[in-house]
Amino acid sequence: MVHSLCRFKEEEFKWLLQEEVHGVLRQLQDILKEASHRFALPVGSTEGPVKQENFMLGTSSADQVKGVLMLQGDALCQAFSNGVVIYDLRLPPVEIRFKVKNWLNQYCSKCPHSAVSVDGSVGDGMYGFEGDINLKIPRNNQLLHFTFREDKQWKLQQIQDARNHVNQAIYLLTNRDVNYQFKTGSEVLKLMDAVMLQLTRARNRLTTPASLTLPEIASSGLTKMFTPALPSDILVNFYINLNKLCLTVYQLHALQPNSTKNFRPTGGSILHNPGAMFECGSQRYEVSHVHKVECVVPWLNDALVFFTVSLQLCQQLKDKISVFSSYD
Amino acid sequence: MAREVLFTMKTSVPAVALWGKKAPSHSITAIMITDDQKTVVTGSQEGQICLWNLSSELKISSKEILFGHTASVTCLAKARDFEKQPYVVSATENGEMCVWNVTSGQCIDSANLPYRHTAICYYHCSFRMTGDGWLLCCGQYQDVVIIDAKTLAVLHTLISFQSSDWISCMCIVHSTRIQEDSLVAVSVTGDLKVWDLSSSVTSIQERQSVYEQESKSLDCTNCQAIRFCTYTERLLLVVLANCWKVYDYCDFSLLCTEFNKSGQCFAGGEVLAAQRLIIWMEDGHSYIYQLLNSGHSKSIYPADGKVLKETVYPHLLCSTYVKENKSFPFVMGFMNERKEPFYKILFSGEASGRITLWHIPDVPVSTLDGSPKEIPIAETWTLQDDFDKHCAMSEGIIDHLCASKDGTESAAVTSSVYVPNLDKLVCGCEDGKIFITLALHAAKARILEDISLLKHTLPSKVLKGHRSSVTCLLYPHSESVRFDPSWLVSAGQDSCVIWWDIFKEEILHQFTLQAGPVVNLLLSPENYRLNGHRIVCCICSDHSVALLHLQERVCLLHARKHLFPVKMIKWHLAENLLIVGCEDDSVYVWEIETGTLERHETDEMAKAILTSCEDSEYLVTDSILPVSQDTQKHKNAGYKSSSTYKRGTVSHNLTHTEKSSAKQTGTSHVQRPFTILPVKTKWNNISFHVLLFDLEKLVELLLSSQLSGLKSSNSFHSYDILKRAKSTAEKRTLMLKRNKTAGSLFPMDGQVKNACEKKVHRDNSAARSLEEIGGNKRHKKMKSSKKIRLQPSGKIDANVTTDTVKLLLSCLLPWGVDKELDNHCVRYLDLFRLQCPVSFGLVSNGNHISLMLPGWNCNHCGVVEEHTPINLFSRKVLDLSDKYITAGQGQIGKKYGLDHNADGIQGSQIVFYLLSRVSLVNRIVTLPLEFTNTIDSPQKLESVRNKGRSSETFSPSFSIFYGELPNYTSGFHFPDPGNVSLVKLISCWRDQSVKIIEVIQAALLAEVQRSMKTLKKTSIGNQPVTMIDNGNSEVQTLAKNEQTEQMAKCIKNIPLPSKCKIYWHILSSQLFLVLKTC
Repeated sequence: MVHSLCRFKEEEFKWLLQEEVHGVLRQLQDILKEASHRFALPVGSTEGPVKQENFMLGTSSADQVKGVLMLQGDALCQAFSNGVVIYDLRLPPVEIRFKVKNWLNQYCSKCPHSAVSVDGSVGDGMYGFEGDINLKIPRNNQLLHFTFREDKQWKLQQIQDARNHVNQAIYLLTNRDVNYQFKTGSEVLKLMDAVMLQLTRARNRLTTPASLTLPEIASSGLTKMFTPALPSDILVNFYINLNKLCLTVYQLHALQPNSTKNFRPTGGSILHNPGAMFECGSQRYEVSHVHKVECVVPWLNDALVFFTVSLQLCQQLKDKISVFSSYD
Repeated sequence: MAREVLFTMKTSVPAVALWGKKAPSHSITAIMITDDQKTVVTGSQEGQICLWNLSSELKISSKEILFGHTASVTCLAKARDFEKQPYVVSATENGEMCVWNVTSGQCIDSANLPYRHTAICYYHCSFRMTGDGWLLCCGQYQDVVIIDAKTLAVLHTLISFQSSDWISCMCIVHSTRIQEDSLVAVSVTGDLKVWDLSSSVTSIQERQSVYEQESKSLDCTNCQAIRFCTYTERLLLVVLANCWKVYDYCDFSLLCTEFNKSGQCFAGGEVLAAQRLIIWMEDGHSYIYQLLNSGHSKSIYPADGKVLKETVYPHLLCSTYVKENKSFPFVMGFMNERKEPFYKILFSGEASGRITLWHIPDVPVSTLDGSPKEIPIAETWTLQDDFDKHCAMSEGIIDHLCASKDGTESAAVTSSVYVPNLDKLVCGCEDGKIFITLALHAAKARILEDISLLKHTLPSKVLKGHRSSVTCLLYPHSESVRFDPSWLVSAGQDSCVIWWDIFKEEILHQFTLQAGPVVNLLLSPENYRLNGHRIVCCICSDHSVALLHLQERVCLLHARKHLFPVKMIKWHLAENLLIVGCEDDSVYVWEIETGTLERHETDEMAKAILTSCEDSEYLVTDSILPVSQDTQKHKNAGYKSSSTYKRGTVSHNLTHTEKSSAKQTGTSHVQRPFTILPVKTKWNNISFHVLLFDLEKLVELLLSSQLSGLKSSNSFHSYDILKRAKSTAEKRTLMLKRNKTAGSLFPMDGQVKNACEKKVHRDNSAARSLEEIGGNKRHKKMKSSKKIRLQPSGKIDANVTTDTVKLLLSCLLPWGVDKELDNHCVRYLDLFRLQCPVSFGLVSNGNHISLMLPGWNCNHCGVVEEHTPINLFSRKVLDLSDKYITAGQGQIGKKYGLDHNADGIQGSQIVFYLLSRVSLVNRIVTLPLEFTNTIDSPQKLESVRNKGRSSETFSPSFSIFYGELPNYTSGFHFPDPGNVSLVKLISCWRDQSVKIIEVIQAALLAEVQRSMKTLKKTSIGNQPVTMIDNGNSEVQTLAKNEQTEQMAKCIKNIPLPSKCKIYWHILSSQLFLVLKTC
């Protein structure tokens, strides 16, 4: 009795390894390919005409900041192009207009020597876009106009990393086609662990923006992207948070050297609060206003859903395998 | 200005590994062969590094396994010019990097950087660079990071101005034709980039931006390898997943493309010779091609008017195959050596842990009929092969117990726990039985020859209750004394949790969870109690968490909603909540009282809950600030800490179980001289045991036990021991003096003994208090262990200590080298022969464990004969031992000149002496390099020496510690010439990558020989001999009536620098210490 029960269990395990695992792997591959399409690579994307998408940042009337971001292209990651963002700040009224061009097609032809890089912040916060950004800041009822420099690009590193992690996960799965026979459960567990590691990282990359210190934001290439240069009392930062593209604008005021205020530099954070202080050069600043606008990027949402679904699939497969852990 | 020196004492703890029948799993993720073709290095998904001997006949045997990483190894590369220093660097998924000396198995340096490397290239440009060269790294980050090979600090980055992306592979192009070293890399999007290296050395050193010289899109993804042909200095081989291509390095024009015909992906390739390539696949096959010029292409002019380009086409010459029994993925490499004694080797490592080698002929040719020839496998080997071959060595610690029942194959141990206060080892087996044995006895029975005959009579208990394998064990008393010492909780595959009384061998209660195998058993934190009792928390494989209240015999809560494995458990004390963090970063909050799911959060909210809970945590625990600071410091001190794992605080991180146990070693061995550390490997649940011996503690214990044993003995003995006291543990005496009590302590004979005891006790307590101040906070968290510490050290049974020492010495001795020596050891020293060679190991830095594998023994004694040495770590040891004797020659003369009027030798005293020498050698050999360097300059030494108060009596090696720090130099004595030469000799060995264990064995061998000679002399002369050694090999033999006087003199001669206490503390425990220097 016990013997036959054991045999059935063994048979089932065999079936699991030979049939079920491959089914799940195929399903995983399909989902991940779909996710990868959302981050479509620039090379080999020879599809039809690029279409444009508009994103409203800060749509409610209560928002101090308003903006419109226009995206262009089928492969959305590189199609942050011709975007316009308008900021409407009540006190003082500020308007920032962004015009983002397709960065991929353009930068190659341009002078490469002024490329932007975030020094020492590999793996940090930004993926990017390239092209022009018009930034209009009316101060004392006067509008200042900033353009993204023609020769510059800005990368949102988060999206690039997420895309690469997904592709790594797909690559891990490619070699185990139907012809490959899994012999032990631990073999499947190891594969699933490796795939899940990549997927978790891809997901975390989008869900956790880098927490930067204010001096890091100030010294990042982003501030040097504009022409005319941003005034020294404005800091700009872009990042992805979950499915949202976020833009934060910090208005600073310089602290007097003899200021009685207790100077305490703030550490790294995704979003700094008014009152945060930092030192840049020999000058000390305090953040007076923080404006944050964001817009949902639908394909990022899709990608995140795909990540979650495939992570669950992996885990379920692991659970099934570990039921038979005594047969290894 | 006060300078804070974080001082990591690199004292190592000897360990003996008792493997089981099954080898620990080792899924190879990285493999390399060292330049001398003597060692194969593999890195595994489990995080260990394995070193394998490669014989000149291309035979492999496992040598050593190195623990240190906490995550999967991603790449291996050489880290120095191999002929000068045999160093290899490893990098892991979580950003750890370690530099290993592959000859000695030591971890040279380690770092934790926020980069995940997938490939590392060592670069050194001797005429432009100072230092030890660079590690050029690429991986899951943009572009290339340059890391200093010596310090493992990030020097700079090579950045790209065009399409910056991850680099998937790279190689260094060194061409005499171009007169420039360059780094050629391909990004994940298929952009080929070239950075100048030699001409940008200065700009890198000055940290100027270095951009690529060339950037060209290859229009391909999944690049696997890029190689430059050093023979033609023209061809560039690029291997992609679906094809491989050959480019002209001059203008990057495509010369040939070969597509994949089978379904498998290409995995890599190498240039064999001019126009000859080897390409390998994911499935372990490889193909050797000859590149032939295609004649017809010469006539074709490209349409775009470019220069005429020759093209080439590949011709398949040879191929290699692996047998059916293969597991993905293969990691392969090729070693191209043109010099004669070396081979061209193609090597592969599999996920199953199998290594395969092919010897590629210098001139590969196809068969006569033109079809490809198959190159046979030269060698294939796994860890398990070595375990099977040396089955005596790979016998588990309690295998004899399990097997004794019916004689059939013993059930594998699936979980075990060591109970320190009872010195018992509890092992749960595959068949559901739980064995409880005396740990030391079990170890002796397993290792030693004569005792092993008696092993069936060993006291052991068997608990029968589980029907399937026992997955985890918990001994609650070792975490909190509130639990009864007789209680044991076990959990099994059948989802049963049983609460035992191990003294009465009965089941107190059985909980049935019905939630799959129980993965882990935890105790709720000290400050979380329900009805005054801590709760047992079970984590099951269906990801549920069950809370059991033992005393009330109820299951309080069974939280079953979790979709992913539980990663973290926190307790919210005020609101009686259980917070469960899962691997997908979601958080479940359960109300313990009602068992309802309060909240389920993901992403940001989940993070917020976990962090907020941590805050509340700190508020709840007793004195807020010190705790949090301690954790902080602790994190800094042990770099390894994956920062999530905290012992004793309320959060438990469940992921790195193996790691956590490894970490415990750093602390737990401190308080007991002998510990058994059960280690479980990932994935295949193989468990083995590591015996740990704390040398310093043993010396201390042996000393105190001898002291207490002396109450009845005559004063002469106590005098001896006092001498020993100050020698082996100088600090004791130094402190004594410091306390200004010395003078009053020794007026009379009778008081001496009391004084000794007092002294020891005071010293112990002083040391303890010092540790508390001394910056080491680890043990603060280990409340239970502290309690053990606080007990007087004499409480540990003297017999246990002696037995431990003898076991250690037996394991260390090279048996069979000299018959006479063996007999001497057995007869006079009361040591036992070994059953089989032991797998020795070392725990260093608290984090790194190196263990010899069963195959270590086979390369120098292929045929096992009666008279071959069975435990000689290497032939080198004999040589080293001779040198050791020569180095100590001067003293020996002196020593034996004095020997004649001594009284008699007890074996135990010699054993004690040997142990103290071993401990001393161990200390010297692990001294930080800076300290030993000072000895190398005799002038300096001399000058400092003159400054120091002169006394011949003290400090064998300690002065070296202070050499660097001027504050401490004055007031210390300098080693007499014999010891200086000894220290010099040993540090010189270390530079020659001699293993620590070899040094220790050599020293022990020499010392045993020496003691044997002494014995002979005295027995012939029938003269009484005192075998006294005060650690600096100086034997003082005195007439009885001189004793007290002389002793008082000695004590007076002891200098009293104010900081000496701190130093001894460093020596005695393997802990971290913060020193304030000015």
